[in-house]
Amino acid sequence: MSKLTVGRRNILKAGAASLFLAGMPITGFAKGKPPGSISVIILEGGMDGLSTIPPIGDPDLMRMRKTISPEGYLPLNDFFGLHPSLKFYAQLMARGHASAVHATAFPYTKRSHFEGQNLIEGGGLSPFSEKTGWLGRALELAGVAGRSLSLDMPLILRGYRDNDNFYPASIRGSGRPAADLLEMIAMGHQMEAAQIFTKVANKSKENVQVPRDPASLAKYAGQAMAQADGPVASVIRVENFDTHANQVEEGDTDSGRLARQLVVVDDVIAGYRRGLGKAWDDAIILTLTEFGRTVAGNGTLGTEHGYASVGLLAGGTLSGSGVVADWPGLSKKDQFEKRDLMATIDYRSVCAACLEKSLGLDHDLIASQIFRQPDLPRVFEHLFA
Amino acid sequence: MNKQFRIAQRFGLMFRYDQDLPQDMEAWIELQLQAPSPALGIANTSTEVAEWPDELQPNLAKRAGMWRRNRALEDQARKGKNGQDTEAARKANRFENLMRRKDELKFVHRNVYGSDQVKLRLTAFWANHFTIGNTFDTANMIGHAIDEGILAKLNGSFADMLYGMTTHPGMLTYLDNIHSAGERSERAKDCRKRKDCQAGLNDNLGREVLELHTVSVAAGYSEDDIRGAAQVLAGWGVNFDEELGDMRKKAGGTNHWNAYKKRWAEPGTKKVMGQKISAGRGGLRQLTDFLASHDHTINHISAKLCQHFVSDNPSTDQIESVKLAWHQSNGDLQAIHTQVFKLAIDAPEAKFMWPMTWLFQVVRLSGATYFKGWEEIGDYDDNLMSSKAVLEELGQSFWSSRQPNGYSSDKAEWMSAEMFERRVRFADAIYKNGNTRLSVNKIMDRIGAAEQTRALVASVGASPGDQFITLMCSPELMGLEYV
Repeated sequence: MSKLTVGRRNILKAGAASLFLAGMPITGFAKGKPPGSISVIILEGGMDGLSTIPPIGDPDLMRMRKTISPEGYLPLNDFFGLHPSLKFYAQLMARGHASAVHATAFPYTKRSHFEGQNLIEGGGLSPFSEKTGWLGRALELAGVAGRSLSLDMPLILRGYRDNDNFYPASIRGSGRPAADLLEMIAMGHQMEAAQIFTKVANKSKENVQVPRDPASLAKYAGQAMAQADGPVASVIRVENFDTHANQVEEGDTDSGRLARQLVVVDDVIAGYRRGLGKAWDDAIILTLTEFGRTVAGNGTLGTEHGYASVGLLAGGTLSGSGVVADWPGLSKKDQFEKRDLMATIDYRSVCAACLEKSLGLDHDLIASQIFRQPDLPRVFEHLFA
Repeated sequence: MNKQFRIAQRFGLMFRYDQDLPQDMEAWIELQLQAPSPALGIANTSTEVAEWPDELQPNLAKRAGMWRRNRALEDQARKGKNGQDTEAARKANRFENLMRRKDELKFVHRNVYGSDQVKLRLTAFWANHFTIGNTFDTANMIGHAIDEGILAKLNGSFADMLYGMTTHPGMLTYLDNIHSAGERSERAKDCRKRKDCQAGLNDNLGREVLELHTVSVAAGYSEDDIRGAAQVLAGWGVNFDEELGDMRKKAGGTNHWNAYKKRWAEPGTKKVMGQKISAGRGGLRQLTDFLASHDHTINHISAKLCQHFVSDNPSTDQIESVKLAWHQSNGDLQAIHTQVFKLAIDAPEAKFMWPMTWLFQVVRLSGATYFKGWEEIGDYDDNLMSSKAVLEELGQSFWSSRQPNGYSSDKAEWMSAEMFERRVRFADAIYKNGNTRLSVNKIMDRIGAAEQTRALVASVGASPGDQFITLMCSPELMGLEYV
């Protein structure tokens, strides 16, 4: 496999950069339109961070994962490489518009998809402890609305009544319903259902046609967020990261299920970039996944549920490109419970930094009111300087 | 709503437009649990209701054969052989050898035309509990699992259903178990000597059997327990395209539903949550029986049944009463279901209807012919979408690719503008294209619609189409408010 040559110019600021975690509260509160936008790509199933950003400088990598580690990675520096599927993302990195945070996780170690997904979206102290999501609560504090590109309203966005979703219908033999009929139906409902039918009525006044593939939806979301009165947040979900089997194809570690899903992620980021236009300068996009995967491969060209993974960030607000990590190592003694990549950075801190940057909310407020963790470390300086 | 329809909404699919209403609902439910379940449907949109033809309901061995043919022809198409690479040949291959469209239409027909509505609601609950997502290679098996693993087993024990679904080739394929080999198995030993093969444990199914199908995370099991369960499962299942003869040689058994590859099995006794499990084929039944009667399983599933049929937030007393029925009957599903129905009849609050349940109810109430017949699968129609497209659009299909936790019974998961818009649009489409047989007023009289619902329908003006949408999207028919 040939190595990618795109954008190899000095794209990492520091090697396996150590991250110094320190709380540095700033005072001040969001007022009016927030400074930027925030978009979350939820990677459902538990993305394998060790193959997405392989730590090529770690001598244990090839010892532990020879059969599954992507051979055709793009070297970012002496220590980290980038999966060959992430071509657009590599270009962004070369321009200082993308960063990754490695060996990071929400504080959840039980390896259940459904507890993990609930925790990373709810953002509380334990799974199922919150009925609303961390982004929903943040948008309520900032008083601005967000939009999910899905048929459902994901937990992460719940908690603010003006939040909305978008996933255009394709139903033969039925027209767009009349707004006044929908308003009448809304009046017959109570509370939340009434609000939802009112949103349907408002939606029916527009006529937006968008293909429903993730990249097109991301582009639409970018365009919507670029408008003066558009949403300031968006959420999109990419499925199928639960790569127990055939994560790679036999004999070709650059292909397989993970490679295919990372192409989708790359396309989604590219879609956002195109849709946002000038608003890219004020945007931050981050990925979220419920857990990483085991350091060692299993017997079926795949990996089992693990702990820490990687977070991919992109947007014009980043102060430069790099891989932010306090690298724990991959040897047995460095692993979490002798099987998983250890988490050395709390990913909630990364989410908090993105909220701080995009919504202009104070870190301490985010820590205590959104993540219910007043002493959550602040990592803002490492991403946005 | 009158009592008949209130009960039929909550754990049935509503009485069809031309059905007589029973007077004694408690007796009716008992009879419903025993109702025969022929697969009723229509051959085309102008024929009477009849039973699905046998040739469209192949058994497991035939399904495996069809799958094998589909793969072989696809392979020829890729290589440009035997004229298989034309669009027409590919289409014919899909049509003849893939069961998804047929199975999904049959499922929809059952729900629209069936006279076993209570059993069909229970089937939906359990098919969701034992979710088999569509990973394409499960396409020929999902319908079989629903008919033979769930519907046919509704009146047996939970232990039987659990064992049947754990060993169903659809489940073993969906959660990767067909690839899993014990680390000390003969297969793994062989592989370690060779370069071209990899063999080892895959814990996907073991994990979900514990977390989702039985005890749940509340049981506090460890990673070792998950590995133990995966070791018990190692060896179960073969690729669905394996020749029957090869399959028997490799895995014994008589069909894909009892295929166990000895050479892939982990030798020795295993331990799961303190329970010793013997080596060999019989070990799995020991494990599922142990899990089926575990307190945490009874707790978990009793609560889930209550949440689905009784209340978004069932009380401890309600859940306890189902647990009691479970214990007293040794996990007999009929006794358990009967207790859930008792609670549901007296439930003081509304229960939100799943999108697919609501859709079937709308079609039955109005007598619409909204789904094509089995002779019309694959025919384009200007107004009627395929059942596959309808359910996909609605956001709920047992043939969709999805996670093993299935669809939530919690109303909160279904409250969104796009979801509600779909209901409006489908009510509109069913009215315009479904040739409905009862007027809105007749439907409201028949179900004993609440004053509030009648007032809402009257408020939207005289257009029968608008009135139909309004009725079907009213709080009463969506199950949002008890009125």
